Amino acid sequence: MTQLHPKRLAQIAQFELVRLFLTKRGLLAVAAFAICWLLILRYPIAESVNLISSPEFADFARQAFGAIGISRLLDWPESELAMYWLIALYSFPCFCLFLCSDQTVGDRQRGTLRFLSLRATRSEIIIGRFLGQLLILAALLFVTLMATLAMLTYREPSLFLSGFSRSLTLLVFLLITVMPFIALMSFLNTFARSSRLAFVLAILFFAGGNIIIGLLTWQLPLLDVLYYLFPGYQIDVVAGQRAGMMLGVGLPVLQTVVLLAVGERIFARSSL
Amino acid sequence: MTVLIQAQGLSKNYGAKRALDNVSFEINKGAPVALVGPNGAGKTTLFSLLCGYILPSSGQLSVLGHAPGSAALFGKLTALPQDAQLDPRFSIAHQLNFYGQLQGLSGTVRKKETARVLELVGLSEVAKQRPDDLSHGMRKRVTIAQALIGEPEIVMLDEATAGLDPIHAREVRELVSSLSNEATFILSSHDLTELERLCSQVLHLDKGVLSEHQARSSTQDNKHYITLQLNQRYDDVEAKLASLAQVHHVYMSQAKEYVIEFEQTVEPFDINLLQFCYQQGWQYRQLVNGHTLENQIFHKES
Repeated sequence: MTQLHPKRLAQIAQFELVRLFLTKRGLLAVAAFAICWLLILRYPIAESVNLISSPEFADFARQAFGAIGISRLLDWPESELAMYWLIALYSFPCFCLFLCSDQTVGDRQRGTLRFLSLRATRSEIIIGRFLGQLLILAALLFVTLMATLAMLTYREPSLFLSGFSRSLTLLVFLLITVMPFIALMSFLNTFARSSRLAFVLAILFFAGGNIIIGLLTWQLPLLDVLYYLFPGYQIDVVAGQRAGMMLGVGLPVLQTVVLLAVGERIFARSSL
Repeated sequence: MTVLIQAQGLSKNYGAKRALDNVSFEINKGAPVALVGPNGAGKTTLFSLLCGYILPSSGQLSVLGHAPGSAALFGKLTALPQDAQLDPRFSIAHQLNFYGQLQGLSGTVRKKETARVLELVGLSEVAKQRPDDLSHGMRKRVTIAQALIGEPEIVMLDEATAGLDPIHAREVRELVSSLSNEATFILSSHDLTELERLCSQVLHLDKGVLSEHQARSSTQDNKHYITLQLNQRYDDVEAKLASLAQVHHVYMSQAKEYVIEFEQTVEPFDINLLQFCYQQGWQYRQLVNGHTLENQIFHKES
């Protein structure tokens, strides 16, 4: 039976947070992330008003995102947030695959999990680390959102309140969107032999899986339900703010629960 | 006597290979217990089963009345698993603190515990360093330290002194000896002399099959033994020893070492034996009351 002690769960999650902000490797990742986002903030977001109102961007958006229909975003007075939303929605899941690629595999290979498993159940370890990664992403999302909000307020102070409220909504949706990606890495970590392999398996899962399902649906169109297996399936619809609660929230939450449950079962039965 | 560990018909298969074959034993609270056997005999498999790192293929195993790996054993059973390393990205103190925290120790207590266990292994000065900054031997001692956090009832040390220099190996032995009133240690090692000094119960594994021995047993099946080690080779030692009164049987266990089975009477056999050595002009190196562990386990008398 799965044993989860809330205190130990919180302690493991907290330890993951420290891993990012107090270790050299973690700080390097944060530094690389910060530089990327400084560039994003400086160019596409700072220039968002001009970009979004320009006919070239409208054409580009129509061609690039025509299928997902982002016209609603173009109407937001907080154009910085609209630009942030699009960039974060597509970039954070990819970044998350890289950032969360070593949840348990490194500790398993090194034997560190043998020390931990005498003090915490395997369910606590896998779920605690998932929550830790979620906390890290929440922190990174929050910081970038606040920076975007600051730029928005600097341009138009009267938009602060509406921008703040919209920021919170975006934060929740972005967190829900990245959840199954973290859970996918938790799952892959239970059997991959290295964090690199876990990352490669994730890429293969998305690339190979799409090709296989594409071929299957070509033979049997009903099988397109299999696309629901892929984290991020709903992103295109969510991007245009057109997704219902079932697709925008229900699907990623369900994917997360299934991936974590399967990962937890594999992890509980695996040899350390 | 309190039974700490109970195994009944325990087997573990890796594919077609049987690593443990129908092993049954009990470990009681008290003196350290040795787990010995050649490479590939199943020692680490048994360790891993006791710690809950792997699941048995069949059989029952109970540690303090619970299944291995269950939450009820956290802080009660600790271990130094073979080749396990701490996370190289965090300082030693940070990780030991974290382990203390998971064991339910409060902030100040776990800081004191970290300092205490590091002092026990003589490494207080490395608390702020990372594992990668330490030598192999120091890393080993730090991992021994993590097994001593809190008040464990069972401490399992797999090859604890392997790779340590003689001074530190001796310190670890002394540490185990001094703490053996507080916790029951289960030790695996290839150094039989070391285990003989520390342990009373010996679990011997060979090809997955278990047999039990008593360290330094002077009696076995109501037979009495003495092991005599001489300084050099002398002629006809076995025959001359066999001619002594009280002696039933003598065999040479290895070069210059003889195991003597004798009859216990009012006459002190050991004194008679030493006098006999003196009369023969034999210089002896060591006289062991009973079988050495090495002879019990590995000597097959022809």
